[in-house]
Amino acid sequence: MSILAYNGGAMVAMKGENCVSIATDRRFGIQAQTIATNFEKVFQMGPHLYVGLPGLATDTQTVMEKLRFRKNLYELKENRLMSPKVFAAMLSNLLYEKRFGPFFVEPVVAGLMPKTYEPYICNMDLIGCINPPNDFVVGGTASAQLYGMCEALWEPNLGPEDLFETTSQALINAFDRDAISGWGATVYIIEKDKVTIKNLKTRMD
Amino acid sequence: MSLADICNISDYDSNRGTKNDFHQMCTNFTSNMSLGVPPFANAVANIGNMAKDDSGRSIKINFDHGTTTLGFMYKGGVVLAVDSRATGGQFIGSQTMKKIVEINDFLLGTLAGGAADCVYWDRVLAKQCRMYELRNRERISVAAASKLMANMVYNYKGMGLSMGMMLAGWDKRGPQLYYVDSDGTRTPGKVFSVGSGSIYAMGVLDSGYKWDLTDDEAYDLGRRSIYHATHRDAYSGGIVRVYHMKETGWVHIDNNDCNDLHYKYKAEKEDLENTII
Amino acid sequence: MASERYSFSLTTFSPSGKLVQIEYALAAVAAGAPSVGIKASNGVVIATENKHKSILYDEHSVHKVEMITKHIGMIYSGMGPDYRLLVKQARKMAQQYYLVYQEPIPTVQLVQRVAAVMQEYTQSGGVRPFGVSLLICGWDSDRPYLFQCDPSGAYFAWKATAMGKNYINGKTFLEKRYSEDLELDDAVHTAILTLKESFEGQMTADNIEVGICDASGFRRLDPSHVKDYLANIP
Repeated sequence: MSILAYNGGAMVAMKGENCVSIATDRRFGIQAQTIATNFEKVFQMGPHLYVGLPGLATDTQTVMEKLRFRKNLYELKENRLMSPKVFAAMLSNLLYEKRFGPFFVEPVVAGLMPKTYEPYICNMDLIGCINPPNDFVVGGTASAQLYGMCEALWEPNLGPEDLFETTSQALINAFDRDAISGWGATVYIIEKDKVTIKNLKTRMD
Repeated sequence: MSLADICNISDYDSNRGTKNDFHQMCTNFTSNMSLGVPPFANAVANIGNMAKDDSGRSIKINFDHGTTTLGFMYKGGVVLAVDSRATGGQFIGSQTMKKIVEINDFLLGTLAGGAADCVYWDRVLAKQCRMYELRNRERISVAAASKLMANMVYNYKGMGLSMGMMLAGWDKRGPQLYYVDSDGTRTPGKVFSVGSGSIYAMGVLDSGYKWDLTDDEAYDLGRRSIYHATHRDAYSGGIVRVYHMKETGWVHIDNNDCNDLHYKYKAEKEDLENTII
Repeated sequence: MASERYSFSLTTFSPSGKLVQIEYALAAVAAGAPSVGIKASNGVVIATENKHKSILYDEHSVHKVEMITKHIGMIYSGMGPDYRLLVKQARKMAQQYYLVYQEPIPTVQLVQRVAAVMQEYTQSGGVRPFGVSLLICGWDSDRPYLFQCDPSGAYFAWKATAMGKNYINGKTFLEKRYSEDLELDDAVHTAILTLKESFEGQMTADNIEVGICDASGFRRLDPSHVKDYLANIP
């Protein structure tokens, strides 16, 4: 069994019209055993910047702390916010540093570019290969199912409400076909002047 | 004149031994208790080699595995409760699988382990039980049925069969509950739970179990036990099915979606907490 | 360490609280070739003298105006060899930044990092301070930048400044000529005029060097281009 599937977890981010979404399940398990259903793996890294770190839970937390350290240093040194694009480049750099003994996370970055508020999403593999598409990105153990759902549900220029609905449905229906993710979900909708966080009611088995 | 006559080989079929070939190639077509064995000598010892590729890496077959099933006897008979999830690896193949097999009106079997193994051998068992009834003009005892099952799978011990089943029934001697598995174990008992979620189910079951349960209490205990197992165990879930074996034969009590149960139990718990305060 | 005897820093406080090594370094700068920098509304210019002692010298082969990244350039007053080390370091730091963030280094960041290197040489053992002051010009976030870095590691942001020989006169001249709404072309003209203030002998396109930086990036002006500017000077 892959180390990436030791704890389980699903993640998806989507682009909309002047907004982005990022959503994740809430399970923390050890293989088949569900330990907790309130596990956080999406983190705020700026007013319009979120990163999700599905994969091995211990690495989720370590990588998040390393990222926060580097991002804070950057923001102090440069006296400006870090853009999602720069954040992704920095994360990629951080991951590749451990090319031969990687952190077992498949990050997803979602945010709006400072000033222009242009939507940005990307994901990468565990050693930092960035993939910045125009529609959606996925990660975690339900990624095959998520690709299927997103491919079917996503359409261009979704407003915040529609984006929320699309993201939620894609996530829930994907992880309902994955044994080791689910047990609740959180959706973040990032807009220019507000971020909406909603917890979804899902199957708990 | 056929081509065989022209060629002077009209007895070709008998020379070639087609009938024998047919029997060798499709053994369980006529004898459902004999499966095709791997094409090499000493099958049990060498079957491990078949699960390896050219470079010696093991080939993993992901057949349906995770399950929670339970059965217990109480004053009102036997209650069986099971989940309905079928997984291949971590993929959920089905949420509506029937894991209780209705062998006949007085015999139920539960499946855990390899789904195909369980379903096949339950089918064979059903046939055997019916044969017994026709021959002896009375229903087979649960003890005998379970022994048939244990003996059948014992023939294939070590060859990778994977099943853990409970047989519940009502015969001349009253309600019966047996556990049979592919290792050859066969044992009667009052309380069993089988499958990947069995440890969680057993925790709930043991703490609520007593002989003098009412019927409704017994159903609820079985249901709750399975529900809690589906909550903790990733490979169990879907629907909780409850069956009751009575003197008059089995009764299917109900099916409940785990999702509904979760929010129902949650509401009950919150109500309870509020009344205590 | 090569030798324990010299592993202490040469830059040590005098009883009066001064770091005389740094003052000597600044003296070396003040004796060096003059250079000037001016920020305009749509760009920034840096210029310096590049006089040769012999007519045999092959001009336009070795430059004093150097590009650090596409949008940052640098000149100096003081010692050439020290300057080249800093250019090398600056380029390396700029590329390192780009590697990590996939974004060009902001001018302020480069200045801070170069200044940190210069400061390190005032406190490390077995080394001496740099004998140069740098003028670093750049364009990012849609505006021009002009900085000066001294041997001490101190750095300043200027609208316009002069360094090297006769820098006091140069600065006085700039104070008189500078205006906020200067265009880049005028700024180049003013920079050349500032150099001319203290220039000994005939100023030609072969003995000054000019670099400009605007929205399209940094570039060194070729002699023919410089000649055009010189033609407008009386």
